[in-house]
Amino acid sequence: MTAAESEGDGLLRTVVPPGQVRRLFRFCDAHGWTLLVVGAVIGALPPLVGLEPGYYMTVISEMFLFTVLALSWDVIGGQTGYPSFGNMAFFGIGAYVTAILVEDFAVGFPVAMVAAGILAVAFAAVIGVVVLRLRGHYFAIATLGVLLAAQQISRNLDVTGGASGKILLEVPTGTVFYYLFFGVMIAEIAVVYYLTNTRFGFILNAIRDDEAKATAMGFNTTYYKTAAWMLAALFTGLAGGGFSLFNTFVDPQTAYNGAWNVELIVMAFLGGSGTVVGPIIGAFGLHTVIEVVETAFVGWQLVLLGVAIIVTVIAFPQGIVGTLREYASTMEYYERGGMAAEGTDDEEVTAGE
Amino acid sequence: MAVTQFVVNGLLVGALFAAIAVGFALIWGVVDIINLAHGEMVMLGGYTSYWVLSLVSGNAEGSPALFLATIPIVIGVLYAVGYGLQRTLVSRVIGTDIFLTLLVTFGISIAIQQLAIRAWSANPRSIQVSFGEPSFAVAGLVIPKTKLVAFVGAILLTAVLYVFLQRTRTGRAIRAVSQNDEAAALVGIDVEHTRAVTFGISSAIAGGVGAFIATILRIQPQMGLIYTLKSFVIVVFGGVGSIPGALVGGLLLGSVEQLTVGLVSSRWTLAVTFLSLIVLLIVKPNGLFGEGAEQ
Repeated sequence: MTAAESEGDGLLRTVVPPGQVRRLFRFCDAHGWTLLVVGAVIGALPPLVGLEPGYYMTVISEMFLFTVLALSWDVIGGQTGYPSFGNMAFFGIGAYVTAILVEDFAVGFPVAMVAAGILAVAFAAVIGVVVLRLRGHYFAIATLGVLLAAQQISRNLDVTGGASGKILLEVPTGTVFYYLFFGVMIAEIAVVYYLTNTRFGFILNAIRDDEAKATAMGFNTTYYKTAAWMLAALFTGLAGGGFSLFNTFVDPQTAYNGAWNVELIVMAFLGGSGTVVGPIIGAFGLHTVIEVVETAFVGWQLVLLGVAIIVTVIAFPQGIVGTLREYASTMEYYERGGMAAEGTDDEEVTAGE
Repeated sequence: MAVTQFVVNGLLVGALFAAIAVGFALIWGVVDIINLAHGEMVMLGGYTSYWVLSLVSGNAEGSPALFLATIPIVIGVLYAVGYGLQRTLVSRVIGTDIFLTLLVTFGISIAIQQLAIRAWSANPRSIQVSFGEPSFAVAGLVIPKTKLVAFVGAILLTAVLYVFLQRTRTGRAIRAVSQNDEAAALVGIDVEHTRAVTFGISSAIAGGVGAFIATILRIQPQMGLIYTLKSFVIVVFGGVGSIPGALVGGLLLGSVEQLTVGLVSSRWTLAVTFLSLIVLLIVKPNGLFGEGAEQ
């Protein structure tokens, strides 16, 4: 720990002692499902008590949407350790599937959503065979290549409306989308939270920490990481499927939005990747900031995004949750004997909240 | 037009891609990061040349000599930018998670790109270099003079880099750091400084090529990512740390793109580039030349 960090700690220590933070973590760990249900009830209330479709409802719906994207990224990027730069490919495929089915084939919106999810998963299965064999730099760039290739192909096909995209006129009201994205978000949080405490989740973490060892222990890592990749694709595809109608418009630029592609990674990262609450906190927090900047300084939000990435990564690489967790465990360090006990402690396995 | 004409066009442009990729590979090998902001250096180089020319001649037009005179300025400016970036930002994440280095350079890329849009608008621009005769013909093949100048310029930049790395003291230090940074530090090489110099040189070459690109294609603030990815394709093809490999890769990529333009449609060039990246990573993730990467 550097000197600067210790000073920051000192300030924080007077306001919130580490013991309390630790108690908060313990409470959250113990009552995860209760908290999720409480959150679901609170989140479902606003439209019932008078939130009208409009600016605020749109912004909140977008927050749900980004939470889905960030959490999906975290399943593959944070939990499994495969830093994908191409998650928006699933989003774009989902968006185009619903747009084409609803507009050209007069399919009902719910059926189109299901199709969007299924196709995104199928695409992930095919692409996963190729890209999941790669690691590190190669995986990151290959996924970015997949995203850009998908964007270019959508731009050139007739069925997707080419570069001008598709305009969707008959769309449900804002309230429908509020509950749609909210429902997808809650479902994803529940699934991911459930998985972190299962064998499946632990194996994903094992792949992240040392894939060779995980393989040596007899796990078919290809199977597990492909499953995680497809899970990420499912929810990202569903989010995209809802988005095209929510946005009433889809074209290669919005469907495979390069800025969002980075935003969702930064959200997961800023909150704390490899945890369940991290991406949620990150998505709500960063989207609020971006929304404020967007209204106050039009056109500067992407500059801010770039700066936010640099600052986060350099100053704050563990994210909010990771940093707090470390802070909370500082007392434990001394309780267990401090320096004398160092080296005997096994590194804590962060499996999520 | 005949197929050979497309290949010639491809080779002319491909040398530019190769020179950009050589710098990209140099950073990859020496600093051990994938510099996702590399394409932005190309963009900044193009704009630097554009603005210097505008300052001198009132608009972005000029004789070949005047344009070539801006190249040293571009190289100087971009060297400073690259050196500064490495010293202030990138050096802080070296040795940590691979993903952090990717994110930092991506952040730099977005910040530079967006600031460029704010400063110079998103409109594409180009530098007009006027020749008496715009092109000449050899054996039935049309060769535009601007493209030939760009080709020669890019090859020269690559060759100078090669000689620099092989013959000079700094070049040897750079190669030493790329082989083993701890051993290099033990024999008295300032590793941090050498890495920053490497970053500066790579950026300078990318910038110089960017100036040439401004004369034959168009420059705009968001052009960078495509060049970064092309560099990646070329380096994966040629192998990390192999300048001849990068040269072959660049010329091949240029030819493939121009053949796509000629035989299919110019709309599909980028799709072909990205698909060839994916195919290449499946078939040959360690490159056809060189010893391959650490993964």
